[in-house]
Amino acid sequence: MTPANVKIPLLVLALSVWGCSEREMSVPDPATPLLSSQTQSSSTPPSAASTREFIDRYCAFCHDERLATAGLRLDLVDFARVAEHPEVLEKVVRKLRTGIMPPPEMPQPSVAGRSDMLAWLEASLDEAAVANPNPGRTEALRRLNRTEYQNAIRDLLALDIDATSLLPADESGHGFDNVNVGDLSPSLLDRYISAAQKISALAVGGAASSIQSEVIRVPADLTQERHIAGLPIGTRGGVSVSYTFPQDGEYDIQIRLARNRVGDIGGLRSREPQPLELLLDREVVETFSVMRPDGPDHSVVDKNFKIRLAVTAGPHDVGVTFPQQSSALLETERQPLQAHYNEIRHPRLTPAIYQVSITGPYGPGGADDTPSRRRIFVCRPDQAGGESEELACAREILAKLMGRAYRRPVSDAEVERPLAFYRQGRSEGGFDEGIGQALAAVLMNPEFLFRVELEPGQLAAGAVYRISDIELASRLSFFLWSSIPDDELLDVAARGELSRPGQLERQARRMLADPRSNNLASNFAGQWLQLRNLGAFTPNPRLYPDFDNNLRQAFREETERFMDSVLREDRSVLDLLAADYTFLNERLAKHYGIPGVYGSRFRRVSLAADSERGGILRQGSILAVTSYATRTSPVLRGTWVLDNIYGAPPSPPPPNVPALDETSVSASLPMRERLAAHRNNPVCASCHTIIDPVGFALENFDAVGRWRDHDGDNGPMDVAGGLPGVGEFDGVAGLQAGLLSRPKLFAGRVTEKLLTFALGRGVEYYDAPVIRKIIREAASDDYRFSSLILGIVRSQPFQMRTSI
Amino acid sequence: MIIFKKALPRRTFLRGVGATLALPLLDAMIPAATALAQTPARPVPRLGFVFIPMGTDHARWMPPGGEVLDELSPILSPLQAVKEHITVITNLELQNSYPGTHDTSNSGFLSAAFAKHTESSDYHLGTTIDQVAARQIGQATRLPSLELSVDLNPLAGVCNNGYACVYQNNLSWSSPTTPLPSEAHPRLVFERLFGDGGSLTERQATLRSRASLLDSFHEDIGRLQRVVGASDRVRVDQYLDSIREIERQIQFAEAAGAEDLQPDLERPLGVPAAFGDHAALMFDLQLVALQADITRVITFQFTRELSNRTYPEIGVPEPHHPTSHHGNDPIKVEKIAKINTYHISIFARFLEKLKATPDGDGSLLDNTIYLYGSGMGNPSLHDHVKLPILVAGGAATGLRGGRHINYEKGTPLANLHMTLLDRVGVHLDSFGDSDGSIDGLFDSVPI
Repeated sequence: MTPANVKIPLLVLALSVWGCSEREMSVPDPATPLLSSQTQSSSTPPSAASTREFIDRYCAFCHDERLATAGLRLDLVDFARVAEHPEVLEKVVRKLRTGIMPPPEMPQPSVAGRSDMLAWLEASLDEAAVANPNPGRTEALRRLNRTEYQNAIRDLLALDIDATSLLPADESGHGFDNVNVGDLSPSLLDRYISAAQKISALAVGGAASSIQSEVIRVPADLTQERHIAGLPIGTRGGVSVSYTFPQDGEYDIQIRLARNRVGDIGGLRSREPQPLELLLDREVVETFSVMRPDGPDHSVVDKNFKIRLAVTAGPHDVGVTFPQQSSALLETERQPLQAHYNEIRHPRLTPAIYQVSITGPYGPGGADDTPSRRRIFVCRPDQAGGESEELACAREILAKLMGRAYRRPVSDAEVERPLAFYRQGRSEGGFDEGIGQALAAVLMNPEFLFRVELEPGQLAAGAVYRISDIELASRLSFFLWSSIPDDELLDVAARGELSRPGQLERQARRMLADPRSNNLASNFAGQWLQLRNLGAFTPNPRLYPDFDNNLRQAFREETERFMDSVLREDRSVLDLLAADYTFLNERLAKHYGIPGVYGSRFRRVSLAADSERGGILRQGSILAVTSYATRTSPVLRGTWVLDNIYGAPPSPPPPNVPALDETSVSASLPMRERLAAHRNNPVCASCHTIIDPVGFALENFDAVGRWRDHDGDNGPMDVAGGLPGVGEFDGVAGLQAGLLSRPKLFAGRVTEKLLTFALGRGVEYYDAPVIRKIIREAASDDYRFSSLILGIVRSQPFQMRTSI
Repeated sequence: MIIFKKALPRRTFLRGVGATLALPLLDAMIPAATALAQTPARPVPRLGFVFIPMGTDHARWMPPGGEVLDELSPILSPLQAVKEHITVITNLELQNSYPGTHDTSNSGFLSAAFAKHTESSDYHLGTTIDQVAARQIGQATRLPSLELSVDLNPLAGVCNNGYACVYQNNLSWSSPTTPLPSEAHPRLVFERLFGDGGSLTERQATLRSRASLLDSFHEDIGRLQRVVGASDRVRVDQYLDSIREIERQIQFAEAAGAEDLQPDLERPLGVPAAFGDHAALMFDLQLVALQADITRVITFQFTRELSNRTYPEIGVPEPHHPTSHHGNDPIKVEKIAKINTYHISIFARFLEKLKATPDGDGSLLDNTIYLYGSGMGNPSLHDHVKLPILVAGGAATGLRGGRHINYEKGTPLANLHMTLLDRVGVHLDSFGDSDGSIDGLFDSVPI
């Protein structure tokens, strides 16, 4: 059969090296090939020959010897030997599956023709992968990142730390911060040593710690007019934190009130004194009185808001808040906005907390009974037992700690090394000090700080081997919990039973049911969906005066709770895209215009069938992180959906992006018209004709996720959109339906992201057969979350490794 | 080495720092350095590097007039008080930053090297000028170099474009495969410079414990090195380099011994909410680090490439990055110029403070050379030519100042790097894509 494209004049070809997409005028009428391919697909089963024919007809026009668009030459591929070209062909599969290729202006294969050919190609690739498996290679040495370190300390020592104040930020690669973690710069090593010292002192509560000061700063844009979650009912504003007091002793707690721009205390309207309460473990320990000063000097108001308190070592809830007074005054001054933190645009109506500082201990008295000490001191040496009993107890304590910290059984001989630290500390400051110093040494052991996967000796390069059960246990716990294995998992692994299929699945299910798997909703989804960027999202207060930290927090909480519900109820991952429920508190419900939700507490809310909400595409968090401070960005939103949901990440913009010099467009035009300019530019158009329509479909949501029917003064919002491989549609409902009509693409993308996170490496072409297998099996289970997770856990790349 | 016995001008220092972020103990830091001080033969130059993202509005950056920097351009106008210490160099470029855009604007700025296009940990760039310098002039101080920034949270998932985030986040690389993380938290910088408090006995005990923890880690890594495969041994060798560096730092602190007097330290309490305050505080920390001779090499990322920071305080409520795609829209171009001017104004105040700080026979500014600029020229084109570049200070090193060196055609930024390195005693045949040096930047008399 003659490929249609040979009829195109060569002159046109020569002009079009910029990009194959600008040739709409020169392509032949697609009707003929469409028809013939339909006949073909119904008659002959696909084969290497028919695939070659398909490629020649629909792809070779650009990806041939002459043009080699995107550096891709399909004329070089021998379809009788699919196994020799997996890298190129997986690219072809992805582009064809998602409908990104062929470009819309080129002849299109029939639906059946496309799917028949892809089925054959995928089956051939899968077959080749079975014959020649490649599980890839996770790196041998991977440092615990900040999140993992924090979680490991929590699970090892029953101690909550803020790792962001101890360790520098991690770098991301392939969208996750557990990928590029092989490095150890001097400053990082320096910080690990400091962290080990601080943490061991805090966990053991050693006697010699100096006075430290900690400041809890309330976010400047937190509205404090109403109840804040975590504080007692009947209070408004303030802050509540769990703070670990290092020792028994006295601590100074000082409170400062928020100032406005000129340095006065905001919200000091009434001359009536207002009480301000300091709570320790939710009990009022001191009440201060906030009063408007007679003179102009506001510093007198809170300069004595300081108290010295005796506190026992260990974690305590420290709260500072105002008892809620009659809101009659508030009602009369009621304003349309929820946000009250900025003196100019939306002033505080009542005083607010700026910061709480805790300084101490004064007269330190060591520590007795704290969660960390209960976890660490599994024995106490008898006073009468003398040195030998102390040593025996130290051994027991350290062996236990080391096993958990190094995630493997530990021999008696190994305990000798931290014991040297114990002896040093014992001679300097007693038994506890000895344990403290040994603990610091354990925390500085490379087997705690790094995840080490060494290949067994005598393996030929390129050999595929099964990792040990001990290594598998760590892979499992760092995947599901971003933390160290617990005792049960370690025991099973140490007995060599973990890799047995039933046992592996049992452990994975047990761990998913554990609250620690919330890590998937916070840490994994926080990166996959880019929720982490919400912290840096600060919309322009002039345009979005009703945005404050309360709303920012609520955005994130909604999505995390929603993710967690899909995980915990083991729903289909497709529910992430469309659900008839969500999680709201009053603040967020008002923002969404949903009535009947009161109070700061989040609760599950059923949504009406015609609700504007339901599914992540309609959640404020995602709509905000894909917006700029002043406006929505259909480009960011389109890219976000194509990359994170649809599995068709757009190519990065070419270098030397041409500017829209001549066509500088007015900001008052509708977004659609402004973006039209770059879709008219052929270099930009090849991608933006795909990206922009996806974003347009979400234009009913503004930059802070509110619903809008009108586009300012430009009339009703035009939400006509489209998705390659699906077609055209209107609005978010159309986009949702379009995405749901391709469940394998979404489930496949979630699986790829989960696999990247699970393995700590980028997903490569040789992983594609594995992902297809997981999706095939999950499809029969309605794509339940657990079917994806278990599919990954059972997969070759998760259990095996290639040697080098 | 600079001897430094006067108390810090604390009031001067606190100016511009939020009132709640006082550093009340700065004057107490001073003795820290004196213990290390040996009589200097002549002042030792210090080097600083300040990176701004996404280029400038060239028209408002470029000084009018000729070779003498007489009239300042609108963006550079805040430098009026230190004009005679400034040399603007026009038409420098980073050819190795192509084909990348934002990522390689950052990564090329101090490396002039080509960034391997990868998202995985096989990233590869080049050793940056600050680290080359630190090997030469950084060994005499406790910290060979200091890496600082203002952006606290790395963004998730948006610095890809096929380039690993390391290129966008790290200005400083100690080897082609070793990016050095920067610190944006003032308190952590402060602790790194001056320790985290406690009595002398406590601090000495902490130091001893650090040394033994490091020894123990060293032994364990040595054991690991014997069992890993050949390809991973390269990684472990890097760990050993880091261990040696920390060892050196501990020895330095130990040598300071009992004279390293510090009363109870209160640290900077938090991160200033306003960008201007935060950036100014980071500059103040640079000042005390240089003044106390804790380090002689500093890099500072003013903000990150692709930053969407808004600057309502100067009339730019729009986010920086999309505004930088200005398409020659005069309103957007003006806003970019406003951001450029704002950054320069914060830098200018820092230079004024350096100038007011006595050091040796002159001022700290005389003994310190700062390179300020971007790895991008016109942000709307994402190009790496006609970079905004200026050099400040360094009179005692022979840096002339008060000049505008305007190349007729594109000249590698690496030539400037070569020239600066030469001045601090590192004589290389080439650096990055360099093809010469910047003639006339320095008086010919070497220091």
